[in-house]
Amino acid sequence: MKVARRARQDATRLWRVCLINGRPDAGRVRHVVDGLTETRRTGAAAVLAHFLRLVRLDAARWAARVDTAAPLELAERTAVHAMLVERYGTRVETVFAVDPALIGGMRVRVGGDVYDGSIQARLAAIDARF
Amino acid sequence: MSTLVQELEARIAMTPRAAARKSVGVIREIGDGVARVEGLYDVMLNEMLDLGHGVTGLALSLEETDVGVIILGDDTRLEEGGEVRATGRLLQVPVGQGLLGRVVNTLGEPLDGQGPVAYNEFYPVEAIAPGIMRRRPISQPVQTGIMAIDAMIPIGRGQRELIIGDRATGKTTLCIDTIINQARLNSAADARRDAGYRRLYCIYVAIGQKQSTIAQLISVLQDSGAMPYTIVVAAPAADSATSQYLAPFAGAAIGEWFMHHGMDALIVYDDLSKHAVAYRQVSLVLKRPSGREAYPGDVFYLHSRLLERAARVSEKYGDGSLTALPIIETQAGDVAAYIPTNVISITDGQIYLDTDLFYQGTRPAISVGLSVSRVGSAAQRKAMKQVASRLKTDLAQFRELAAFAQFGSELDSTTQAKIDRGKRILELFNQPQHDPRSFDVQVAQLWAVQNGYFDSIPVPRVKECQQRLTEYLQSSARDVMGRLATGDALDEAAAANLKRACDAFAHMWT
Repeated sequence: MKVARRARQDATRLWRVCLINGRPDAGRVRHVVDGLTETRRTGAAAVLAHFLRLVRLDAARWAARVDTAAPLELAERTAVHAMLVERYGTRVETVFAVDPALIGGMRVRVGGDVYDGSIQARLAAIDARF
Repeated sequence: MSTLVQELEARIAMTPRAAARKSVGVIREIGDGVARVEGLYDVMLNEMLDLGHGVTGLALSLEETDVGVIILGDDTRLEEGGEVRATGRLLQVPVGQGLLGRVVNTLGEPLDGQGPVAYNEFYPVEAIAPGIMRRRPISQPVQTGIMAIDAMIPIGRGQRELIIGDRATGKTTLCIDTIINQARLNSAADARRDAGYRRLYCIYVAIGQKQSTIAQLISVLQDSGAMPYTIVVAAPAADSATSQYLAPFAGAAIGEWFMHHGMDALIVYDDLSKHAVAYRQVSLVLKRPSGREAYPGDVFYLHSRLLERAARVSEKYGDGSLTALPIIETQAGDVAAYIPTNVISITDGQIYLDTDLFYQGTRPAISVGLSVSRVGSAAQRKAMKQVASRLKTDLAQFRELAAFAQFGSELDSTTQAKIDRGKRILELFNQPQHDPRSFDVQVAQLWAVQNGYFDSIPVPRVKECQQRLTEYLQSSARDVMGRLATGDALDEAAAANLKRACDAFAHMWT
């Protein structure tokens, strides 16, 4: 549809404006969102929806989630975060969570990458072999 | 028991320990056999994806913010928010000699209830066709058993010959008869333990057809003993458009295995019109721009890359061949429509089946004027070339003169003789379905008609005479038929022997 395509193109252009050296600038993003919510121009809602989707996708790409069976010590959390920063860059933001279903080990998800070293995953792999 | 324990421990030890990186995504939109997935940043084009619930998908559209995935299988249990994992593999199918006699779907999974499919290895569904330097010229014939084709539009091993016509003109029957004849030749070679004869294995790909039709075809193949030499790849109309789109490529992968291992294979795509429609559906749901008749812009490439995989390769690259018989259904005889013209320009010739000829009783309803084989007599054995070389011209002259004769004018004796001869040749070419004729019988019949043995027979009795002549030659002139079966050109002695046998028959007939 013409309207949706145009809205997507506008949203992409606005998103590129918000990037400084490849990273989104929070101030510019807020400014764009304010402008789109306050304007009376037709189609602004569709542009806003696409723009927010791009913001969400970017955030999801650099969001790291570390699940462990038992809570990690501060030193361990710092070390894990440092390893992720080394591999993915300083944009990565790490969140730690506890999931007893893992039994042991760690599962790390960064954007679309998953590293599953948990015992649950290894048992599933053995199960699949048989 | 201790060996079992050891085996289990070995299997557990083989399970990888390190947490390897897996690429995952999330389904954001699902419907119409297509899913839009966010994530999967490193996915390859045409990579297989695991969508959960045993459903496989293919990454077909790599866009800025998401991946368009076409789904192979039942998508009713997939939900928005579901996880999708990349497998790191391109779509592959099992291939090998163990597939002969089996009915499989697009993914190579069995549909005939005869247990798992025995395979040698996996071949990618999408593959690059053999390059120019890997090919050899076509010189070996495919004996279809249909006299009109073997005499005037001969097909060679490694050729692509399009079969085109309106609905219900006998396109599928032509292909099934070819498959049946290959099975007869293969089983005869097996019976006499002839390792020198190159067996031709057949693959039939059913795209978008009714399941009852496919079941009927399988039944015909089983009854005629052709199934042990045939593989059926079925993507019926009830399957997703994705399955129908990929089925011919899966069939081509199966055929390529034979080609790479020194064997010959023949593949029938029935039909590519429905294939183009399935691809159109997939492309439109993926929101790709549409062109003429709403087909996507790369519909030509869809068929060209499929048909280019049929080739005859040199000894170094497999020493085999893959012959393709694509089928296209026209609407109201329009061969100038979009998809038919595309495929005509890709293939090495076409066999045009005419509806009018069909209803006039000419079956197979092959229009000799519009049909061509661009490989031609290079793929004919010498004996057939000898007897059939003038046929096309004779029939072309007959068609022109027959139009003349309709005006009721008096004709000179030469013209009348040409018309009479033409009528008899056409009558000889009529053949019932599922009854292919062997090479020696074809050569004998054509030699007889070219030498005037049918000139005195009234046209309504030509069929009967043809039948009796065949029976006589097969029972009382076996050495003559044996000499014809070698395929070598007829020298004076062979021609004299054949003449003697035909004279004896003519004497009996009168």
